[in-house]
Amino acid sequence: MPIHKLTPVDGEAYDPSKKPPPFGHPLKYHFALDDDYVNLNHGSYGSLPRPVIFAATELAYKIERNPDLFHRIEYFEGLNKSRASIAKLIGAETDEVVLVPNATHALNTVLRNFEWREGDLIIAATTTYGAVANTALYLSDRSEQPRPTVLAVDYTFPLTHAQILERFTARLREAKQAHASTSFTDVPPLSPGHSEEGRGKGNKIVAVIDSITANPGALMPWKEMVRVAREEGVWTAIDAAHSIGQEAKPDINLSEAQPDFWLSNCHKWLYAKRGCAVLYVPKRNQYIIRSSIPTSHDYVRPEKAKVNGTDFVLQHEWTGTADETPYITVSDALAFREWLGGEKAINDYCHQLALDGSKKLAEVLGTRVLDESGELTLNMPNVQLPLPVEKTPGEVYTPAQLRKINAALRDGLLKEWKTYGAHYFHAGAWWTRCSAQVYNEVSDFEYLGKAFNALCKEIKETILAEGSA
Amino acid sequence: MTIPKLVPSQFETYDPTEPPPPFGHELKKYVPLDEDYVNLNPGSWGTVPLPVLFAATRLGYEIERNPDKIYRQAFLPLIYKARESVAKLICAQTDEVVFAPNATHALNTVLRAFEWREGDLLIGATTLYGAVANTIRYLADRSEHPRPEAHLVEYTFPLTHLQILDIFRAKLRAVKELYADRQFTDVPPLSPGYSEDPADKKNKIVAVFDSITAQPGWLMPWQEMVAVCREEGVWSVVDAAHSIGQEPDINVGEAKPDFWVSDCHKWLYAKRGCAALYVPKRNQYIIKSSIPTSHNYVPRGCLKERGKCTHFVMQHAWTGTPDHTSYATVPDALAFREWLGGEKAINGYCHQLALSGGKRLAEILGTRLMDQTGKHTLNMPNIQLPLPVESIRGELYEPDMIPEINVYLRDKLLDEWKTYVVHYFHAGAWWCRCSPQVFNELSDFEYLGAALIVVCREIKERFVFRSA
Repeated sequence: MPIHKLTPVDGEAYDPSKKPPPFGHPLKYHFALDDDYVNLNHGSYGSLPRPVIFAATELAYKIERNPDLFHRIEYFEGLNKSRASIAKLIGAETDEVVLVPNATHALNTVLRNFEWREGDLIIAATTTYGAVANTALYLSDRSEQPRPTVLAVDYTFPLTHAQILERFTARLREAKQAHASTSFTDVPPLSPGHSEEGRGKGNKIVAVIDSITANPGALMPWKEMVRVAREEGVWTAIDAAHSIGQEAKPDINLSEAQPDFWLSNCHKWLYAKRGCAVLYVPKRNQYIIRSSIPTSHDYVRPEKAKVNGTDFVLQHEWTGTADETPYITVSDALAFREWLGGEKAINDYCHQLALDGSKKLAEVLGTRVLDESGELTLNMPNVQLPLPVEKTPGEVYTPAQLRKINAALRDGLLKEWKTYGAHYFHAGAWWTRCSAQVYNEVSDFEYLGKAFNALCKEIKETILAEGSA
Repeated sequence: MTIPKLVPSQFETYDPTEPPPPFGHELKKYVPLDEDYVNLNPGSWGTVPLPVLFAATRLGYEIERNPDKIYRQAFLPLIYKARESVAKLICAQTDEVVFAPNATHALNTVLRAFEWREGDLLIGATTLYGAVANTIRYLADRSEHPRPEAHLVEYTFPLTHLQILDIFRAKLRAVKELYADRQFTDVPPLSPGYSEDPADKKNKIVAVFDSITAQPGWLMPWQEMVAVCREEGVWSVVDAAHSIGQEPDINVGEAKPDFWVSDCHKWLYAKRGCAALYVPKRNQYIIKSSIPTSHNYVPRGCLKERGKCTHFVMQHAWTGTPDHTSYATVPDALAFREWLGGEKAINGYCHQLALSGGKRLAEILGTRLMDQTGKHTLNMPNIQLPLPVESIRGELYEPDMIPEINVYLRDKLLDEWKTYVVHYFHAGAWWCRCSPQVFNELSDFEYLGAALIVVCREIKERFVFRSA
């Protein structure tokens, strides 16, 4: 059946030669969110612009017209174009960049490719994303050797960048001291003491570092942490899920920062279709990634890999039948962002709104922002909720109450008030993490404040009134 | 921006109370393929009917209206319904079925979940799908202990079911003899000698085999192979990528494979990419983690884990932000198939066309069917191509020629003739594997035959063969 040519309507189209609508509510026209839904949680799942949805739908039909032609021939051009654009954005070479379904998948590709030995260490953090922390735990949970040991750096916010760096450095040194009998000689290529002959010999330490943590939403001094790790001979896997499309000042610039592995979700802040993430592995480290996940037709066996390398890019070109439209339409997402003014213009607006909006929200709630200095905030401010604060765990809240409060906030915000901002419990207090996007304005934060006030009052009268510490 | 309510165009919807069009070209209108593209290869990527694609697009928009609302509240029930519908089709319990993006991913979930020990054996086959064979190699290629050793069962088709079983059983016994000093006491729960005590479990043997091979497309006696594994104390991992929606009356509850995976986007009309991973409850403890690991992973020492529950279903409910509209719209695919007449009617038509079409194609090409008896063909006949046959490897074909001829066939068929079929080199000869669907007719095979005659003649003229 020849598809009638899909024609874009309303916000699905835009004229790149004309000026875009101003930032703020006028831009809602180009997004698919319900008109009456006040979305202050762009950071969780992303929201793609209507022109990108349209491009993806159009592409889906095109693929269906002749799946063999697409999968065997046409796919690769679109994929490589996306990879090249993303590489440019993050200051990497195209052949250091592949696309995978999401950041968790990318992180799993890295951690599961290391050949773990008894004595190896993985250093995560108390604020590491749930599934990522679980991946490390899973590896260490192997019921018999070999398996790494998992340690965590404790971050209790608010913290300054200097404090974060201090804690991180101290933890690395502490870990090495606590395992003084282990020879951590398997160091990354750029670290002192690295040699080709020594490669893969002895034990290693791998640090999983957020560039921007999720709860709270906090910009970490990840480039400095990478530098410290490099000096200490520690491998760095940067979970930068929130970075691409948000971190623009300064630029991500991976060829300068030189992490060992870096990954980010394109469907969060870069306006790509769900699920699309980028995995960056510099050429010096590609030998570690022996296999894509899942393993593909292009897997290279070790004897060949020693001579020709692991063919990192080719292995990730196609890992089984999937929906490839998110990868190909990255180009459409980037074009739309260019039209809006580009990375700096978008993030200037969002950043300013994050500061103004959170200030307003804190006023409405009668509380405070987590990040008083502004050092930790890009587009995701954190504001305290008007609920009791406990100084020691269990002083005010039972575990059941914590769960009930999260459920009550979630349901109340989504069903009753038609708004959302992520909510979480940290260091004895309740917080909301908002995401400022180009379609938001300060009034959205005011509305969210109104909703939280009502819901928190209800919670104090119901959930907190019944239980006791 | 409120989305205008998506309105389906004529063939993106159908009236389930009205009779469907008859099988054949009349059904092409419900399918997004180019009018002039003669697709005899739905077996590779599947073809999603317009109503299912529409349902998925519409669900996509629903999600965009409020991603938090859908993902945090409405989503799991949709996936549950989809899992339930697949479980019913294969006679499994709902909580034994989860989704994965594709069969390769599902197989990786299984094979990478095993805690491999030095001395373990992984038995594949020469006809396993490339990526699956590579997964086995990857696991065996670990640069130091512990890692399994890989062995391959060799199949050169055509083979009868009895011959296949003999070869398979003989291989299992041969490797056990080869490693007579090892104790293969880590046997699956239903095998003789099974013990719950971990101290009793030394080494294991895991066999990966197809229910329907890809090249050639050949129905294997997989249920009997599962039984052989059970008798021999070998874990059975069935790559049934081509089964669901093509193989009638799949009953995993009865056949009892240890693990079974199938692509819903091949023959079941689901949107790409959607596969079903079946793990019976007795084996779920082996799948400690989904891939990638999820928020619902149960760490060691955790209360739930002591109950031997790895939360198999919950771990696979969310493995990072994806596009799960393909999973959620499986019920739409099944409803469309019901409307067409149901599994039996669909496969009755496709099977008959596979036989008559394959026969016709062989006549036109002046060659033969690989499966002379018809017993090994469901919907995928294999027909020899009119190209030189060698009786010893390398007799006529230089190694480079094989991939070059494959590229030539691919480009000519797709670009010049606007048709396609899988083509491959097996046992010295060239073959094509057709996979007719409900929108194909005999004339499609005739068209393909005309194309192949010309292209094969071109190949004979352009390529320089070694002298016999």
